[in-house]
Amino acid sequence: MDEWIRQAEVWVGQAESWIRQQPPEQIYIAAAVIALTILVFIAASCLKSSKSNTIVLSGLSGSGKTTLFHQLRDGSSHQGTVTSMEENNDTFVLNSEKERNGKVRPVHIVDVPGHARLKPKLDEVLPKAAGLVFVVDAQDFLSSMQDAAEYLYDTLTKASVVKKKVPVLIFCNKTDKVTAHSKEFIKKQLEKEINKLRESRNAISSADISDEVKLGVPGEAFKFSQCQNKVTVAEGACLTGNVSAVEKFIREYVKA
Amino acid sequence: MLEELLIFTRGGLILWSSCRALGAAALKGSPIDALIRSCLLEERSGDASFSQDNYALKWTFHNDLGLVFVAVYQKILHLLYVDDLLAAVRREFAQIYDPKRTAYDQDFTDIFRQLHLEAEARAEEMKKSKQALSSRPLPPAASHKTDPKASGDSRPNAAKKKKKGKDDSDDADYTAKEALPNGNGTFKAQDRVLVLPKQGKENGGPNDNGAFDVSKLQRLRKNDRKNNTGAADNGAKKLTTKPSETKKKGKQDRVWDDKPSNKKLDFTDPADERGDEVTDHMAVNQGESMMDKDDNLSSDSEEDEQEVEDGPPKKKGWFSSMFQSIAGNNVLDKSDLQPALKALKDRLMTKNVAEEIAEKLCESVAASLEGKKLGSFTRISSTVQTAMEEALLRILTPRRSIDILRDVNAAKERGRPYVIVFVGVNGVGKSTNLAKVAYWLLQHNLSVTLAACDTFRSGAVEQLRTHARRLQIPIFEKGYEKDPAVVAREAIQEASRNKSDVVLVDTAGRMQKLADLSAVPTARLIDGILLTKFDTIDDKVGAALSMVYISGAPVMFVGCGQSYTDLKKLNVKSIVKTLLK
Repeated sequence: MDEWIRQAEVWVGQAESWIRQQPPEQIYIAAAVIALTILVFIAASCLKSSKSNTIVLSGLSGSGKTTLFHQLRDGSSHQGTVTSMEENNDTFVLNSEKERNGKVRPVHIVDVPGHARLKPKLDEVLPKAAGLVFVVDAQDFLSSMQDAAEYLYDTLTKASVVKKKVPVLIFCNKTDKVTAHSKEFIKKQLEKEINKLRESRNAISSADISDEVKLGVPGEAFKFSQCQNKVTVAEGACLTGNVSAVEKFIREYVKA
Repeated sequence: MLEELLIFTRGGLILWSSCRALGAAALKGSPIDALIRSCLLEERSGDASFSQDNYALKWTFHNDLGLVFVAVYQKILHLLYVDDLLAAVRREFAQIYDPKRTAYDQDFTDIFRQLHLEAEARAEEMKKSKQALSSRPLPPAASHKTDPKASGDSRPNAAKKKKKGKDDSDDADYTAKEALPNGNGTFKAQDRVLVLPKQGKENGGPNDNGAFDVSKLQRLRKNDRKNNTGAADNGAKKLTTKPSETKKKGKQDRVWDDKPSNKKLDFTDPADERGDEVTDHMAVNQGESMMDKDDNLSSDSEEDEQEVEDGPPKKKGWFSSMFQSIAGNNVLDKSDLQPALKALKDRLMTKNVAEEIAEKLCESVAASLEGKKLGSFTRISSTVQTAMEEALLRILTPRRSIDILRDVNAAKERGRPYVIVFVGVNGVGKSTNLAKVAYWLLQHNLSVTLAACDTFRSGAVEQLRTHARRLQIPIFEKGYEKDPAVVAREAIQEASRNKSDVVLVDTAGRMQKLADLSAVPTARLIDGILLTKFDTIDDKVGAALSMVYISGAPVMFVGCGQSYTDLKKLNVKSIVKTLLK
């Protein structure tokens, strides 16, 4: 051990004397070049990450998120889907824009499973999201209305969503079916349900509250326009390929 | 006949479906979704099979590529080759799989047809060889087998492994007659063992699950109204229907530690009202032990020996295993996982988790990790730990909303009172916690009524009366020695007349029939769990996990003290941390 320490000291001494021997300008120039390179790297990484290109697809189980994901990516829903056990995570150029000339920025889309047991997965991806698409089953809406409203409420009251003003698109899926409800109806029902939730949640003692932000204006009925982040409603059908509303939303928030 | 074989990714996209590819009829209902929701996501992926309506499903994972293979067939047919086929399919598909591709029809359909034929052929051969073997059972069997009650059980009939496992006492007689000429001593042992299951089933013998009838709850969950404790009794079943030994089953035996008591416990779970399913499961697990005892089954023991030779896992050198763990190409093997899982299981048990639950959890985690490639610089133990943590988090996260206040409001809108019935064993703290819940509801401006349906324990009604007086809420009581169901019904009627929002019903600790208490015709299962005396257990929080796993119900409240305000919600993350500390 001692030998090595002595050896190291000798080397350090040699390096010092070598440096002293160089003319001072060269050393200054070398240091400046290194500093500049570091600065350039930092600047580049800052600029790149300021605009995230992640869009999160969420919603109840069975609303059509995985089908939507595949429509956006491949233009078809292949052979169908089953309940997802894991998220679908991919960065790609939207299928409809593949033919466009010029540089098209790829989009990173994350399809989070809707099953209640896998809810924690959503918390992991939300901080990086530039936009959130909440998929709702327009055909089977009434029976799942309460659960959908609760899920939406939980999402809208997360600090990460509100602080960063993440825009939300409520996409009413399966409108190709005859018994599907209209998007205005769905919007109104969701607002009503969330209003009810607001009241029952606010009645809980402060120790129990799990939402981090209060929604809406106290005393008034809840409307989506009261949210700090922008909430819009659109409709379409993933199975037939009618997903232009989602693509417009994505393009709006993930600049090419 | 196999109805469907489905290959899909864990993200939910279907890659190949035999129905579509071969043009067969589609499945009725959606058994696959049911499988995912009630089994795989409930951390029961270590189970052997799952059944829904009249379909039975078996599955296997390819954890490295993130694929799931599910085979669906009619429940009444007991196809032997399914496990075999699934393994072969997995192997072949993994070779042609490409993450970018989503259409495998042309390539895979032919391969599948071939594999299917091969598997069926192998099963046929096995059947024939078994028939040859077991045409030697003995006279003592004959008298037992003619027992009329045995009709429920033809499975123990090892000799005739028919595809259609129908109840055939004729079969039994036939085998017995054939047996007469061979008075072989060893087979006597085998035969006596064969008889036991029937007796077990008929007597509905002692339930060795302890106070909480686990399997009963599971059967209830499957909407089985019959109060059949027969299938729950597996303690007496030390048998096999056949010394079955396909190569696959042999492999299974090699891998698991030889713990007979564990295997016995395994039987209590997927308990089915159809004895067939249960015996099939037992056969698989017990095949090896019969094999070891009987030396005369020459051809079979040969096969087993082959397996045994491959048995002792290759002991990798320390250096090479270190190197592999750094380089990150280590593929996880069952044998690698075993020590880490065992350590975790022991840790869980020290925290008061029931042994069977810990076992099943470990199996489920093993199923999800087997064959996965380790990332670089990760040790096996840390991978297992992470997987276990995720599994625990998944189990304890409630499956549906536990917002009681919202449910109460919903019931209010419908104009009926919301009824909460408190059930549980003696001394667990029902009455105390009932009062706490009443207090909490009162704080939210809901009108509460108490119903004293504990008409058995002396002092129960007085206890409730005192609580009611302190909280100033009405109580409905009819004294002692009355039928609790009647009291409950009247209490609810009274409450709706008085426009009360919630009715809290107290019941006796002794097993009063749940069915009687419900005013609604459909049998109700457990909707929620209230854990009591949480303040007294320090960090032995395993009971929470056991309860949630078995019943599938979320924990709604946690009682942690003797006063009215000691009622909390369950903090899932902290429980998981405590369990794995």
